[in-house]
Formats: sequence, C-alpha cells, structure tokens
Amino acid sequence: MNRDINVKQMRINCFRQSKVPGEFMLQMRVPGGVVDAKYLDNVRYIAQTWGDGNFHIGTRQTFDITGIKYDDIPAVNAYLEEYIREIDQELCEVDMDQVAHQPQPWDPKSGYPTIGARNISACIGNYHCICANINTFALASELEKIIFPSHYHIKINIAGCPNDCNKAHLCDFGIIGVGKMVYHPERCIGCGACVRACIKGSTRVLELNEENGKIIKDECCCVGCGECVRACPASAWTRSEEPLYRVILGGRTGRQTPRTGKMFLNWASKDVIIGVLKNWQEFSAWVMDYKPEYLHGGHLIDRAGYKKFKEIVLKGVELNPECLVAEDIFWHETEYRSNFNVKPMEMHHTAGPRNGTD
Amino acid sequence: MSYALNIQQANAVLDEIRKDYTVFAPKRFPKQGRYSDTDIIRYAEISRFEDIVWDTKSDYPAKEVLTPIQQAIFYFTEDEYRESKGPKKPYLVLARPCDIAAQHVQQKIYAGNGGYTDVYYERVRKLVRFAMMECNGGDDTCFCVSMGTNRTDDYSLALKFSSEGVKVQVTDDDFTGYFKECPKAKYTPSFVEENELKVTVPDLDNAEVRKALKTHPMWNEYNSRCISCGACTVACSTCTCFTTRDVIYGDNPEVGERRRVTSSCQIEGFDQMAGQKEMRSTAAARMRFKVLHKFHDYKARFGDSHMCVGCGRCMHRCPEFISIAATVNKMSRAVEEIKAGMAEG
Amino acid sequence: MNPVQPRPCTILDVKKESLHEWTFRVASDAEVSHGQFMQLSIPKIGECPISVSAQGDGWLEFTIRNVGKVTNVIFDKTAGDTLFLRGPYGKGWPVEKFLNKHVVVITGGTGLAPVRSMLNEFMAHPDKVKSVHLISGFKNEEGIVFQQELQEWEKCFHTIYALDNDEKDGWRTGMVTAFVKEIPWDEFDGDYAVVVVGPPPMMKFTGLELMKHDVDPEKIWMSFERKMSCAVGKCGHCRIDEVYVCLDGPVFPYVIARDLVD
Repeated sequence: MNRDINVKQMRINCFRQSKVPGEFMLQMRVPGGVVDAKYLDNVRYIAQTWGDGNFHIGTRQTFDITGIKYDDIPAVNAYLEEYIREIDQELCEVDMDQVAHQPQPWDPKSGYPTIGARNISACIGNYHCICANINTFALASELEKIIFPSHYHIKINIAGCPNDCNKAHLCDFGIIGVGKMVYHPERCIGCGACVRACIKGSTRVLELNEENGKIIKDECCCVGCGECVRACPASAWTRSEEPLYRVILGGRTGRQTPRTGKMFLNWASKDVIIGVLKNWQEFSAWVMDYKPEYLHGGHLIDRAGYKKFKEIVLKGVELNPECLVAEDIFWHETEYRSNFNVKPMEMHHTAGPRNGTD
Repeated sequence: MSYALNIQQANAVLDEIRKDYTVFAPKRFPKQGRYSDTDIIRYAEISRFEDIVWDTKSDYPAKEVLTPIQQAIFYFTEDEYRESKGPKKPYLVLARPCDIAAQHVQQKIYAGNGGYTDVYYERVRKLVRFAMMECNGGDDTCFCVSMGTNRTDDYSLALKFSSEGVKVQVTDDDFTGYFKECPKAKYTPSFVEENELKVTVPDLDNAEVRKALKTHPMWNEYNSRCISCGACTVACSTCTCFTTRDVIYGDNPEVGERRRVTSSCQIEGFDQMAGQKEMRSTAAARMRFKVLHKFHDYKARFGDSHMCVGCGRCMHRCPEFISIAATVNKMSRAVEEIKAGMAEG
Repeated sequence: MNPVQPRPCTILDVKKESLHEWTFRVASDAEVSHGQFMQLSIPKIGECPISVSAQGDGWLEFTIRNVGKVTNVIFDKTAGDTLFLRGPYGKGWPVEKFLNKHVVVITGGTGLAPVRSMLNEFMAHPDKVKSVHLISGFKNEEGIVFQQELQEWEKCFHTIYALDNDEKDGWRTGMVTAFVKEIPWDEFDGDYAVVVVGPPPMMKFTGLELMKHDVDPEKIWMSFERKMSCAVGKCGHCRIDEVYVCLDGPVFPYVIARDLVD
C-alpha cells in the first residue's frame, strides 16, 4: 500500500483522511441540500464500486462516501465528472476554470478543485415547507457560483425562516429568509389570530387595538417570520412580493471559541447578499495576506476586527432602503478557558498585507 | 345571440362595458398566499381581460363584492348617525354558477329574514348583473352537483374562456349593444354535470334524530383537529355573519364611523355576551353549529335549498385539511347509526 | 327605512336600582310590546340589546347591568344626555294568551326587567287576569332591583321573594326552583300561564322543576338573552338552530325553547 500520501492535497480535493490507513471519504457537494434523486444512483455506484458500500449524509449536507482506497481516487474523480458538471457547472452555473476569481483551468477528470467555500447547506425552504419565506435551494444555487471554487473557507447556512432549523446562527454567514409583512386593514376581521400566533411562536410584536379592532405592530421587534400571514383567516397579512434576508455573522462550533452568530444585516435584499459575498474572498485574502489557510471566515473577522470586515465586504454594495447594518458586533464566546484571549504577544495573530516582510 | 371574441376584441368590449359598469372578476394577487411564493385569487375590479382568472377557482368568494369584509354603514357626529352612501354605477360580476347560487342564499337572509331588508346588501344587489363564467369543472374540493347548484339561469352574459379569447352568450338586451361589432358564433353554455367529490346530505327532518346527532361523538374529533380560525367561513360563499364596530377618526372622539366587519361562528367569543360564558366553547360545538346550519337549519327556515352551495372553498382554505364533504358524509353515517338505534328501540 | 338606523333620545332620569343595575328613563314615542327589546347605541363605543323594562307616555325605561364596554359608558350618562336607540325588536310576551288566566311569573336577578312592564299593567288592571303569582329570586341583597315595585306587587300579587344564599326579613332563602311547589297548581284548574326569565341555567332548571309538577309545557314561556349585533336577523350571532332570537324571540314558548341547542 502506498504510504506516501499528501493528505492535505487530498483534503483540498474533497477526500477526507480515514482512520483506516490509505482510505478516504469522498464529500460530494449538494448545494442547498437538494438534488434530483437520480444522483443517488451515482452515490450508490461509487459506494459499491470503490467505497465500503455505505454512505453518510454529511453534516453540511454533502454525500459522504467512506472507505475509498487511495489508489482508486483517480477513477472516482473521473467518474465524478458527470456529477460535478451537472450540479455545479450546469445547475449552479459555476465557472470551474477559476479559483477565487483567478484563472485556473479545471481538469474535468480531477474531481473537485478545492474544498474551500464549503457546501452551502439549507433547510428545505419553501420548496416544501409551510413556514419558509424563501426558496432556499434556489438561493444556494445562485450563491454557489459566487463562493465556489475558492481556497478561502466560508460556511454558509440558509434557513427559510427565523425558526432557523438550519442553524444560520452557527456558521460564518447564516442567511435567514424574512419579510416585511404587509397589513391590509380592509381585510382584517379583528379576530386576533395573528396576535396569538405571534405570542405563541414569535416575538409578541402584534396587539389588537380594542378601539378599532385592528392590529398594532411593533415594527422594531418584528423578526419577519410570517407567522401572522400563516395564521390570518382572511389574507389580511401578506408577504411582500420580494423576500428579504437577515444575515447572522460569525457563529461557529469548535474546540476553542464556539459562539452563536450575531446579526450583521437585517432586511437586506438578495442583491445586497450577493454583493457582500462577492467581496468575501477579497476580505479573506486581505486578512491572510493573500495566502489561503484552512481557517474559517469567523476567525478572519476576529483577526481583522468587525469594522474592517464591514468596510471591505460593503465596498461597492448598494444597500436597499430597508437594509440595516450592525454598527458593531460583540460576540459572546463559550469560555472553555478563562482569559482565553490573554496570551504572550508573540502568540497574537495579525491581519492584513504584510508588505513582504513576513 | 352568441359571439366569439379574441383577446383584443374582448378588451375592446370590456372597455365599453366599463364605461357603464364596474366589472368585478377573480383576479390573481401574486405571492399573497398563505405560504410563500403562492398566490391568492380573489374578487377585485378589473380593467383588462387578461386580469380575469378563469382557469382556477378563486380562493375567496364572489360575496366579497356585495358584502365586503369591512364596510362603513354609518358615519357619526355628536348627534347623528348618517347612513353611508352605496355605489351608484352598476356592477357586472363574473361568477361561476355556484357563486350565483350563493347570492340567492345570501339574499334570503339579507333581504327577507324577519321581514327586514338590509339596505347595505340590497343597495348593491340591485346594481348587480352576473356574467356567468362557464365552469371548467372546478377542482377536487367542488361538490356543486350534490348541492344542485351546478346550473343557473340568473345571468346577463354567459362566458366560456379559452387561451384564445372568450365565447359569449348574451341573454340580457341591455348588453346586446356592446357586442354589435363582434363576430357571431354558435355558443350555448354548458354546466358541470358530475364532480369527483360527492356528498350525501342526511335526512334530518326528525327532531329526535337531530337531538341525538348534536351529542354524537362524531364531533369530538374537531376538538383536536380544528383550530377555530374561521378561514372556512371567510372563504364561504354563503356565510353572512358580521359584527358591528364603532371607530373614531384620529384624535376627535366625536366623529367616526360604524362599521360592519365579517365575523365567524368558528372563532372564540362569537356567541359570548358581556360578562357571561360562551355558549359554544369548543371547536366541536362550533363545527356542529356551522355544519348543521349549512345542511339543515337554513333549509328548515327558508325552504327550497340547503345553504351550502358546494363551492368547496372552505376545504380549499382550511389550514388543517378539514373537509366539509367528509364531515357531511360522516354525519350521514352517524344519522344511519342513530336511526338504526332508534328502530331497535 | 333603514332598520338599523339609531335615533338620538334624551335621558330623562337615572335611577340606581342596585350597585350594578340602574334604570334609565329615555324620551321616546316608540310603541313597544311587553318583553320586546331595543338596541342602545353610544357612538364610538357600540351597541347592546336591552329589554324595555317599563313604558309610559313619551318615555321608555331600560334597566341596565354594567357588564360590558357599552353599558359602562351608559353608566356615565345622566339626565339630559343623549342615548341612541333603535327598535323595538323581537317578539314579546303573548299577553293575549295570559288574559283571564292565573299568571305565574318566575324570575332570576335582572330577569325581572323584561316582565316588569307587564306586571305593572296587571297591577293597574287586576281584572285582566285571575291572579298573579310572582317568584323573584336574587343572588344577594345587593342584587335586588325594583325595590319599590316589589313592595307594591306584594300588596296585589301572591309573591315569594328570595335570596339565593343570604337572609333578609320577610324574604325566603333558596333558589327559585325550590318554591315552584308552593304555587297552588291544583287550584288553577289548568287555567294558567307561566313566564320564566333569568340566566340560562336558572331557566333550564326552572323548566325541569315545572315538569316535575306536571305543569303543561304548552303553557310556559321563556325569554332568552343572546349575543346580538344587528337585531334584525342578518348578523347571525343570536341564531340557535333555525331560530333567530332577535326575530323569533326573545320570548319563546317552552316547547320550542327546551329543544334549542346553542
């Protein structure tokens, strides 16, 4: 058995090292977690031909096929061409000949060019769900071509509504589908169903005005979930024609400093989300002096500081009128070790270009 | 006389009719549905032929044109209630046979019950002419044939839509003039003769049977299934219930309006008097009340037909997937059971 | 003519019957039968149905319990203020069926209000009926209404006045149902009419008690109180089965009332 394997190179190629020497686990991208069920045939073929016959539904919604021998990887990669072309190149319109916006021709028989910008995970969204405000899968497909392929890491989770089943609060860049719900008082029968729904399942922003039988809303504390729309028996609450988005920034799990993300953007349009993500690689590259490391986006914000992050990612982005941006963000980390951040100066990380002095 | 109009010709006729009538039809409101990226279709004034949604049943009924969810009935100042003014221009309402039948039901309540005529209903109703939209079969919630409302002859125009345009039969001389330039064609409207869904309404003439039915365990399932939201009654073609509500304008408490706002027997508090307990305090009791009204009580009072016209909108809008048709069929089985029990003695 | 048009009327007098029950005398020429009701309006607050508790030349009286938002505002009004009225509505007591009969009236609490004008007529014209037996129950002393009339009726009717739990001089203690047996039914020789008004449970149990004493159900009438909005059979709030309380009631023969299921 070949004992001379560059496991880092394998990881970039989306093959994860196994505890069994010489074996790897393939991670197939499934943007938004939805694909035609016919691709399960490809998964089965790989698993039964080169793997150990099982597959794992990856925690980031990839198809993970275990037990692939190092020597079989070229054959697996060649077989993957059809899947990568159909899912990434055709469905998501990804330019496979660029990595991080730099030309880098893709050899179609070589598998995934990079693991960076991890698979975008999503809840099923309004493709199916009665609560969702957005088509999460369509958004994931649209974002895939902006963030992939890139060696810079970002984990994006998309949730169809503020119930956040897909944990937008626990990733670098969590996107939640929301809406500014529209009230049509002339259709309101004053039954209070929306008020009760908001109390039971959301942030208690609605109140029945006993004077006129109509609804008063505390706009400020509304999370834009749309429970009022679902509850209304008369369509007196409706969604606006275009949904809006909330971005939860810098959440993460991990051994050192797990934390819940905090709100970065509220009521952002899709164009704003796209504009910000287009600047993501520029920000990551700037922080790491244009040398990608296996380091997730949230850590990069820590190094640069939120204000620097904000400055770079909002560059050239035209904010929609409703859009609100966090002036500052104060994360609250789990303190596994007290005074975790207090350490000798030489252990401190730096950010930004080092002008060749490094 | 009948005509065949392409879309351009239909728009030209519509423009002419709109000079004399306000035209109401089912119209699509994109992305205003209960769930995201779903639409609602409801009645609204239309100005273009393309606005008319003819291939899908509207979510909300035609009654909204005659009795809107909210309307001012009086304006008040310190010392008087002044009646609100109704529309002056006649209405042309595009409606399917079930919707037209529903207006005959509503009329019995608004314009006949107790010898009182409701001026707010009557002042609009007398302005209404119907353009009957030939029904393309409805959907799997329709049961008009079971209720005998699949046919109607109460219309000035009959319309059969297609993607190319519309065939029109004119049965009201007031409308002949609008079509004099239009190409003639052979067209007589046809009606739906069978629905996928069939409902058997039980015979409830026997008071003892009714009494037993009211306490039958069949209603209990609705205590866990029905959320008492009232969506069924808002969507119902025939429900008339409303509440009266006074509202003041701005910061002047002496000036305001008295409104009529749709209410629902399914919503908590419908029958609750100040300082007293509710009469029907469970979803089961409210459901029993509604179903018996639609399939017995109305007919017992007014005669010829049941109140329900089988339009199926209540099922279509129910967020909990409660089928009125299944409920009536369950009721039929319960009545068989009760009658068998009574026969055994 | 718009049947729901309210008209302004001037309050002539306000009499406090009890803490929570006041009688408002209002200037009105409306012709009202005993047991009918009217809709009282306060602009910006709303409407409520109230039975007419007495009537005279150019005036009507309404005995009101302040339990809701409209009645609370009415309680702020005094003589000279305006109240809006519409009506009268509904079917009152079938007085023609009571003539020359022994009339038994059983009331609970403010249920006395809808029979008050009829009792006063029988007091003024004792020849119209063979006798009047009145059983009036109240929850407690604070709940007693029409004190003065109760005393006057005592002089010309056979009366039993009772408090549910409390004691009072000259009064009995117990529910009205307990006194049904004291009515000399056998002496009436079938020539009687019974009137029952009060809260729903009181009417239900009184009906059952009357049945125990073989009272003919065809000779009993009850007055219902239900939520109302229009009072003219359109709004649906007061409907029970095929009956509209505003149109067919509030007074119903017991043979109909006993089978109505809300």
